[in-house]
Amino acid sequence: MNAKKKIAYSMSAVALMALVTSCGGTEGGGDAAGGTEGEPIKIAVIPPTSGALAEFGTASREAWEYAAKEANDNGGILGRPVELVIKDTDASANTTLQAVREAVTQDGANFIGGVMTSTEHNAIAQQLEGLNALNFNSNGKDDALTGADCKPNSYRIVQSNLMDINALADSLAELPGETWAIQAVDYSTGHDAAAAFTEAAEAAGKEVVTEQFAPLNTTEFGTYITELKNSGADALFSVEYGADGVAFVNQADQFGLTDQFDTVLGFNMVSEPLFETLGDRIVGFKNNVGYDVNADNESNQSFVEGFEEEYGETPYYVHADNYLAAQTLFAGIEEAGSSETEAVREALKDLSFDSIVGEVTVRSDDNQLLRPSQIGEVVEGEDGELEFEILTTADASVTTPEASDECTM
Amino acid sequence: MIAQLLNGIALGSLYMVLSSGLAMIYGLRGVTNFAHGSLYMAGAYVAMSVSANVNFWVALLAAPLVLAIVGASLELIFFRSLQDRNHIEVGLVTFGLSMILERVIVLVWGEQTHTVSPPELLTGSMSILGASYPTYRIFLIVVALVMAAALVGWVQYTRTGLYVRAASRDVQAASVLGINVDRVSLIVVCVGGALAGLAGALAAPYISVSPTMGMQILITVLIVVVVGGAGSIGGAMVAGMALGVLQTMGNIWVPALAALIPFVALVVVLLWRPQGIAGKKA
Repeated sequence: MNAKKKIAYSMSAVALMALVTSCGGTEGGGDAAGGTEGEPIKIAVIPPTSGALAEFGTASREAWEYAAKEANDNGGILGRPVELVIKDTDASANTTLQAVREAVTQDGANFIGGVMTSTEHNAIAQQLEGLNALNFNSNGKDDALTGADCKPNSYRIVQSNLMDINALADSLAELPGETWAIQAVDYSTGHDAAAAFTEAAEAAGKEVVTEQFAPLNTTEFGTYITELKNSGADALFSVEYGADGVAFVNQADQFGLTDQFDTVLGFNMVSEPLFETLGDRIVGFKNNVGYDVNADNESNQSFVEGFEEEYGETPYYVHADNYLAAQTLFAGIEEAGSSETEAVREALKDLSFDSIVGEVTVRSDDNQLLRPSQIGEVVEGEDGELEFEILTTADASVTTPEASDECTM
Repeated sequence: MIAQLLNGIALGSLYMVLSSGLAMIYGLRGVTNFAHGSLYMAGAYVAMSVSANVNFWVALLAAPLVLAIVGASLELIFFRSLQDRNHIEVGLVTFGLSMILERVIVLVWGEQTHTVSPPELLTGSMSILGASYPTYRIFLIVVALVMAAALVGWVQYTRTGLYVRAASRDVQAASVLGINVDRVSLIVVCVGGALAGLAGALAAPYISVSPTMGMQILITVLIVVVVGGAGSIGGAMVAGMALGVLQTMGNIWVPALAALIPFVALVVVLLWRPQGIAGKKA
């Protein structure tokens, strides 16, 4: 093969590679129902199965499967079985949107869960009314989803960035560190969190001396860490999560970065499933804790016990937020006495119910679930295993701003 | 700035090790081995397991060895029997193999990201021209440079290296002149696999270990090979190091555009020198 042909072939190979990796696959799946009668209530679950967010996608699916199994074991919802339509995505908006369309138009689902990123949620929100389906967002924290981009058929179960940041802000004055550096993912969540944190820091009399954003799926953080070391900051706020978060923490440890900070405050950076991987490197790290696994209420205890029995692992926030989405949907269906989209939407308006995080309310102004938020510190437990010690719990009335004027249902 | 330059050299070192193996296979077989990223990932997982159960130094030898065997299997089962098929078809076969390998890794080790601690001897930092820099990254740079020198020496000054160069230039002429091209190919694909394994073992403590790490780096490494001059080992090494440094500096100077740097480099080099840095004109 001559050089020209080699180059032409190489170029086409690179282009093909880029094309193929930008596409995700889809596959069908389901959850058998037993001991129930009537037409099944179909819920599409569309988590990412590849890429940096795959492990959270798996957790989302597990939570929905557990919720469906539990409901079916208890006689179903309104006596009808719950059936899951599981689709794969690579967390890109196009692939997810295609999976949503398939699930609704071909598989007959009219409820959607397990979708991961805010970008995907925003993309499918535009289509929900046309598809006559409701989406329950347990993972996307972008504020605009319940602000300018709010839609009547989109519900946010997880706390928004601003709710989490307000929980952090509520405790920020107490945290050591006067000059802060921000390291965030170059993604809507990272930019929103950085902006909100800067505002909260200034309100608490602190200064943000540097902020930098690394693209999602960054593996080499040496450049960013060197800049952080030279920033002069005495505290770090970091919004790196999933595989990016692990790589960042691992490499920060190589550089001895965290030793120079009085506080390392993570936003979704460290969570229970990463404790074993990250090990002692993260002892003393503080992080928002969306879900307190030790919450002392009947619903939570039942969930934790049942989930541990089913999967042999303790649930963490992704499991909990997706299970909470299922609780919200089931509460809405039971309140409506129907699984018709319109009836469930009406029933969910300002609906309050007992959940794994205590009593929660679906705020009809923007479809945000009102729920508490915690800040925790990673500590070594009595058994030598890492765990979160809850430092503060902020009520929804503290963390949740008024519904945005930009949100018109 | 010294620390940032070292960051660039460390990243470039990784690209250098990985892309030189890919360039060798491409030069000889004319196959764009899309599975090369997955071989690198598998090397990291092998290193992680051996490191956890024995130690890192053994892992550093085991990963290249295991991946050389995988490379030999690729050559004997796929490349040799498909050598007369269209290159795109063979490329697609390797892409399918990479997906299978990634899935197998997920089934064995799960989807989560892992960290690997460097050995005690390589933890902490050392001072380089007044800049404190992680010892392990210096080790990575040294290993990569030694490997590069050894590889160049092998290709340039040994009889097998001569056969490799001859077969890469013209397979049929080399065959007519009595070179056992199948044997040379087997050696090259083994060495290419071993280099991917070495890169994976070096990357395990350097970056972290995840099933997606191969796919993430593959496009950049393909670009390195094209920029270096399709099939040129030396060109791939130079291009890999240059791209590592450029990407790192880009992160500092033009962070919003840094992700585009490999693609810009690809376009610029192919416009300026279509055969790549070290490629020969047709």
